[in-house]
Amino acid sequence: MADEKQPEVLGIISEFANIGAGSAATALSHLLDVDLMNDVTTCEILPLDKVAEWLGGGNQIVAGTYTYLCGELKSGILVVLPQDSAVSLLNHLTRDEIDLSSLTELQKSALREVGNICLCWYLIAVSKMVRIDMIPAPPDATVDYLGAVLNVPLATLGAKVDTVIAVHTSFKALDRQFDGYFLMLPDESTLKIILERMGEHYR
Amino acid sequence: MNDLNVVGIAQLAVSRPPSRLACLGLGSCVAVILYDPLARIGGIVHILLPKAPNHHDRDEKYADTGTKKLVEAVIREGATKARVYARLVGGAEMFSAINIAIANIGRDNIFEARRVLHNYGIRIVAEETAGKRGRSVYFDLDTGKVLVQTAFAGEKTI
Repeated sequence: MADEKQPEVLGIISEFANIGAGSAATALSHLLDVDLMNDVTTCEILPLDKVAEWLGGGNQIVAGTYTYLCGELKSGILVVLPQDSAVSLLNHLTRDEIDLSSLTELQKSALREVGNICLCWYLIAVSKMVRIDMIPAPPDATVDYLGAVLNVPLATLGAKVDTVIAVHTSFKALDRQFDGYFLMLPDESTLKIILERMGEHYR
Repeated sequence: MNDLNVVGIAQLAVSRPPSRLACLGLGSCVAVILYDPLARIGGIVHILLPKAPNHHDRDEKYADTGTKKLVEAVIREGATKARVYARLVGGAEMFSAINIAIANIGRDNIFEARRVLHNYGIRIVAEETAGKRGRSVYFDLDTGKVLVQTAFAGEKTI
């Protein structure tokens, strides 16, 4: 990516990511059946190896849902929920006491579903914008060290990807603050297509 | 606490006491740990992928070239090959549903690291590998002990 274009590119990508995250938040509010106040959304374009640092260090425990696109566009997508946000969400959905170290099959499934819905709605919004279908593979969720969760996209895409569109969104619901992170890892050609298509909106 | 040196992905570190080396959050990544107990020299390489392609960026990123480079680095620092022993940590399968489609990188990483160590005739005295859980590793150069923390499953010294 050309460095002199960086601010402009970041603007385009922020727009792209904000709309995606907003859509995901709406879906989540329907799923939880609560009103959800979107607080702040920040967007960064990061190199792969800086992601763990940006998220606050590789040694913290997070809930991650990962999938990849298998249509025309090639990208990995990861939804990361910090430990406390994941516990509150699951607690609200399942009405159980949540212990992340020993999730039941139902709780795991609920976690996967939360991640799935978030990332699908993110994709629906952004694919409308760029007018290209984005078809995700079935996702999988895990609760583990952040570094370990990030290993998978790094290992599978590491050779082809060096740019991560990272979105941090923070919202209020159920009388508390939630944090969520969307990481989109497009390969170079996909990023180019997104920027081209998004650029058309600006002209 | 002694100064802690965190070895990131695709990085290699060789050190002596009293320092400590660590790899945080190993998923399918593997930490190859070498130690010479007499010279008290040890090193870690944090590898991501099993095999290096022909035109690759960093030797340390791949199990085959990274392990080789680590062996050479500890010997260059003054370790004796006959005394050096290895430990392997990591190589978990993080997203099993997705790994069906993309093969088990963690397992390939372990196999490749073992193969290289075998070729050098370096013995592997302990492994804390595979499974479905991420791990963090703390390597104390002073005692030669390796502390492995597993998410939600406590710690273990190898």
